[in-house]
Amino acid sequence: MKRFSLVLLLLLGIIGTAYSFLVSDAAGFQAPGLARIFLWHWPCTIAYSVMLFFGAYLCIQSLRTRQAHWDLRTTAALELGAVFGIMVLATGILFSEVEWGAFWSWDPRQTSFLMVMLIYMAYFVLRLAIPDPQVRAASSAVYFLLSVIPQLFLIFVFPRLPQIAQQSLHPSQTIVMGLLSNDYKTAACLTLTLLLWLTGLLYRQRVRASMLNLSLEDLP
Amino acid sequence: MLQADGLGKRFGRSWLFRNLSFGVEAGEVLVVRGRNGSGKSTLVRILGGLMQPGEGAVKLDVGDRRRGLSLCLLEQSFYAYLTVAEHMTLAADLRACEPRTKELLTKVGLADAAAKTAAQLSSGMKARLRLALAIQPDPRLLMLDEPGAALDEEGKQLVQDICREQATRGAVILATNEPEEGRLGQRVLQLG
Amino acid sequence: MANASSNSDSSLKEILAVFRKEALGEARSQTGLMTAGLFGLVAVVSIAFAAYGMKLAGTLSAGLLWVALMFSASLTLPRAMLQEEETGTADLLRQWSRPHPVYWGKTLFNAALMTFEGVLLAILFVVFTEQTPASWPLLLCATVSGCISLAGAVTLCGVLVARAANRSALAAAIAAPLLLPLASLGVGAMRSAFGDGAIVQGWQLTGAMAGYATTLLAIGPYLYAAVWKT
Repeated sequence: MKRFSLVLLLLLGIIGTAYSFLVSDAAGFQAPGLARIFLWHWPCTIAYSVMLFFGAYLCIQSLRTRQAHWDLRTTAALELGAVFGIMVLATGILFSEVEWGAFWSWDPRQTSFLMVMLIYMAYFVLRLAIPDPQVRAASSAVYFLLSVIPQLFLIFVFPRLPQIAQQSLHPSQTIVMGLLSNDYKTAACLTLTLLLWLTGLLYRQRVRASMLNLSLEDLP
Repeated sequence: MLQADGLGKRFGRSWLFRNLSFGVEAGEVLVVRGRNGSGKSTLVRILGGLMQPGEGAVKLDVGDRRRGLSLCLLEQSFYAYLTVAEHMTLAADLRACEPRTKELLTKVGLADAAAKTAAQLSSGMKARLRLALAIQPDPRLLMLDEPGAALDEEGKQLVQDICREQATRGAVILATNEPEEGRLGQRVLQLG
Repeated sequence: MANASSNSDSSLKEILAVFRKEALGEARSQTGLMTAGLFGLVAVVSIAFAAYGMKLAGTLSAGLLWVALMFSASLTLPRAMLQEEETGTADLLRQWSRPHPVYWGKTLFNAALMTFEGVLLAILFVVFTEQTPASWPLLLCATVSGCISLAGAVTLCGVLVARAANRSALAAAIAAPLLLPLASLGVGAMRSAFGDGAIVQGWQLTGAMAGYATTLLAIGPYLYAAVWKT
């Protein structure tokens, strides 16, 4: 069963990647061919958001139960969240260069997401600085829960404020207003499915490895 | 009054103690003995709720923990800028009990030091202040960690008197290696 | 009913006891006020010196004042929590009290301290940079609600790093990213106060900061209780 799902994932990966390169060029962009970066940028934002809410849930569980395995799961989720966050920034930077002419243009959306990544950096720095595992688990969970409000503000509220939105070059209504063509929609769904599946797989592997590490510590 | 089940604590990879289970009833004095580094102070901190155990659980039946449970720790610091009397008042305000400052400071021999700040106290005087603060709320369960460590003979006798008095209205857990203090206990828990 | 009322009386007494303890400590040592005061003065003088006598635009003034407030908060406020762990007195509070009253006592003290420093800093800033705020009430209200929000966030960060290595610097480092959304609101409100935006918008952003402060203070005690006895 495991091998079958891995094969399926690989197939999906090949098909999704190929399709994203084969879809016709988008209209209304400076470099229409390279607008397909969106097909990887957008799924990364979804994967990041999923990990944000899942991570917050795991933090609550960790604080409620004080069991080590919840802290391991939290760390795994937030590490993945950070990875996808970096990929959002990286694909966004590429898109910014080809479409707006500069890698970094201090666009409000770009800048607010960079601030979110700073929060993740602070989370990992805090974890590194606390030697006691129980204190580390509790303190880092509290910090992440505290950071959920600023994160939600920076991702979902700040870029949509009228005085901010009018200054931003970042497209914000494309999906909501149904401006994606059918083949772009198909490609986006394929890459989204691929990334979410990959997220689940990576999360499980990471948790498994951490649990093994934990049980090694219990050996006399 | 207290029930500990399967308590364990480790630092790093090594366990300080493991699978510790015992209970303490009203009227009892439980003496905890062990060589240096066996975990007596750590056990007292876990039982007192200041530290989470690595495994196991502690059940307490002392009512409001602020007043029902009181600790006298070996390494207990004070607020350097607060006087002895101000410590008594602060503790009473936080625990919602009577300060009984004059009565308790006289009992522990600190009546003349009420206006001294904690920074001005000797280690013996600090030990006496720890005792005064520990008995202030008339706790049901009193936990003492090497209370006589910095005390003179008179102070050690005071500790024994306090333990006997406490046993008549509650229970005592006494972590000590002093032979005289050890004789106060009906049961001994040996660590290490 | 009687039980609930006596419980809340007891909590209020505990909060006041912690507040009084903090105030006594500050009154007898004055390290917090002196450190923040000196930092504030140096920051304001540096800004005025670096401006080279030029009149600063409202947006720039707002940004610089907000940065000075943020760093002042990060330097002084974590002390309330860090010092308890460093001196070993945190165990006294854990034995004698409960997490919510301790949180409220310390946060209220930090909020009062930060508000006093913030208002003083804002006045000094206006004087040294020879500004004429378009609206003094807006500037002061924005400063006050900003300072209370800063106190809520930074105090809690102080708790989180209390048992970490390199605590003082770490508290400031982890607090800064959390304060960035607050910074966008604060700078927006202050730039309106300095005449670089609509006053109405400034009041709206000040209201948003008050909302941020309320949210922080509402969830703060519960988050503090989660790390209270680890």
